[in-house]
Amino acid sequence: MNKVRNNGIIAIYRYLDDVCEVVESIEKRDDFRDHEVISPTSYHELIHIAEKKYGVSQVRWFTLTGALTGVFTGFAMPLWMDYDWPLVVGGKTAGVYSLPAYVVFGFELMILLGAIATILGMFVMGRFPNPKATIFDTRTTDDRFAIFVPGASIDGQQAKLLKEFGAEEVYSTT
Amino acid sequence: MSDEFVWDKTVSDVNDGILKATEKPHPSFYVALCLSLTFLIIGIIAWGLQITYGMGTSGLNAPVYWGTYITNFVFWVGIGHAGTLISAILFLFRAKWRNSINRSAEAMTVFAVITAGLFPLIHVGRVWLAAYWMLPLPNTNNLWVNFRSPLLWDVFAISTYLTVSLLFWYMGLVPDIASMRDRVKGYKRAMFAFLSFGWTGTLRQWHHYEAGYGFLAALATPLVLSVHSIVSWDFAMSVQPGWHTTIFPPYFVAGAILSGCAMVYTLVLPFRRMFRMEGFIRPEHLEALIKLTLLTSTIVAYAYGIEFFVAWYSGNPFEWAIFVKRAIGPYSFYFWVMVFCNCVFPLVFWSKKVRNNQTICFIVCVLVNVGMWFERYNIIVSSLVEDFVPGSWGHYEPSLTEIAITLGSFGWFFTWLLIFCRFFPFVSMSELKLIMPKPLRPKTKYNEVKG
Repeated sequence: MNKVRNNGIIAIYRYLDDVCEVVESIEKRDDFRDHEVISPTSYHELIHIAEKKYGVSQVRWFTLTGALTGVFTGFAMPLWMDYDWPLVVGGKTAGVYSLPAYVVFGFELMILLGAIATILGMFVMGRFPNPKATIFDTRTTDDRFAIFVPGASIDGQQAKLLKEFGAEEVYSTT
Repeated sequence: MSDEFVWDKTVSDVNDGILKATEKPHPSFYVALCLSLTFLIIGIIAWGLQITYGMGTSGLNAPVYWGTYITNFVFWVGIGHAGTLISAILFLFRAKWRNSINRSAEAMTVFAVITAGLFPLIHVGRVWLAAYWMLPLPNTNNLWVNFRSPLLWDVFAISTYLTVSLLFWYMGLVPDIASMRDRVKGYKRAMFAFLSFGWTGTLRQWHHYEAGYGFLAALATPLVLSVHSIVSWDFAMSVQPGWHTTIFPPYFVAGAILSGCAMVYTLVLPFRRMFRMEGFIRPEHLEALIKLTLLTSTIVAYAYGIEFFVAWYSGNPFEWAIFVKRAIGPYSFYFWVMVFCNCVFPLVFWSKKVRNNQTICFIVCVLVNVGMWFERYNIIVSSLVEDFVPGSWGHYEPSLTEIAITLGSFGWFFTWLLIFCRFFPFVSMSELKLIMPKPLRPKTKYNEVKG
């Protein structure tokens, strides 16, 4: 059932407080470098830990870039098309650029490109789509938490520590 | 409104409970699907006849060129609004009850906007030329579309709304599709692995996912308010009596959310039974939805009153004449259906006992949907039949073709929704877990220190 590609050990936890406690303890230890914490959902306790670890998400810059590009495009497109073919409507002089009317396009494209760029940011920063992603343990998309420690041995200190913090199960992925 | 609920299930029950129920729906699901497909086929035949024999088969003629099709367009766009309100605005307000119904509301939004998008295509007649009329595409005359027209604003608003709603909905589905992937084997596993983008649920992924989801909600919030405002400008930017009024944008948005909330209830209640989700969509969640329906109903009632008051207070005889005729003229039936369904019947929701009686709530929500359809019909038709020149006045009734296409649109909407609910969880599993009791170890050192 469990399909694991990376070498190391996995500890499975049932309780959120156990996993929070262990993550805070191992965060700065050299022998737990590059460990991965896996959760079935985005519990705020874990998100706070992630913020400490990764800092404020950089997805916001993708959103801002997309939104500004959208505003620019939303005004530039009708302005250029007005220039390319002046359309006389309601007797208004050709070549009069109706900026207030183009606010709608600026606004809508700001939202559209901002949203598309946000998705792109989630992909880039979250490192997915990844067709070769390691599925550490299938229970982690259900109701269990997991900590994967690459390169660790089932007989080593890391496994012992993970068990001490209440792991239901610790097993080797080799 | 209390945000804490009593659960008789734990997070460990979520995946099993929801996915097993999705796999084996109640037989009534198949009855509903057959009914939807029947309506859909009726609609397709009617549209086929209209394309074959021309727009003469519809009841559209001078002076009413915007009739049932544009009524349907506005109605379906409005239906979509509650989905974004529930998924985005209530997310930003951290309203916990939205987590159990947001997926179905988002799906409703996506399919409702797709349905709405069909109507301009049906309305223009020669559907194969619609892209040149609606989108800024180079054409044989080297002529661009008119960017000063509210109709083109609408094209951009609806396209953006559909795209953003789709993205928001699909990104919410990704962790749940990963859960489905981890329960199956073979080709299904490969398919779900592809659809979930290789989601693993690492802390890094959740961190950026949460941030991105928040930004999408923040972008969708002004979008939902803008879309129906722009739809209302299709009317308000003209000088037609009954349309040319500044109250239209907030009035349309409130009406859209009212109809959307009522539609979410109309859908969620039977679907909840069909897929045996009573344990996950709690009566408290449904009651919260009814409170939102009541709130928007009162806003809509206020807007109706103000609209009438301004028509009188403006001293514009054309405006006032239209409003009086709406109430006592040849279209008064539609007007009073609208008033009773949208403003009077929802008043029963002030009673807590009624709010918790699902049969009454369901009936009133269906009536609200009927009322909101009639509201759009009332606005569009009663203004167009009588404008400034009495010589051009006329009368409009929808033809059989238009009625069949309207029924077909309901068939189209429900068919897609039912197919979605059959193959994907219509309750967001990853978000539902967040409002259920957290899986905490009973009385540990960590609990004592951190609460």
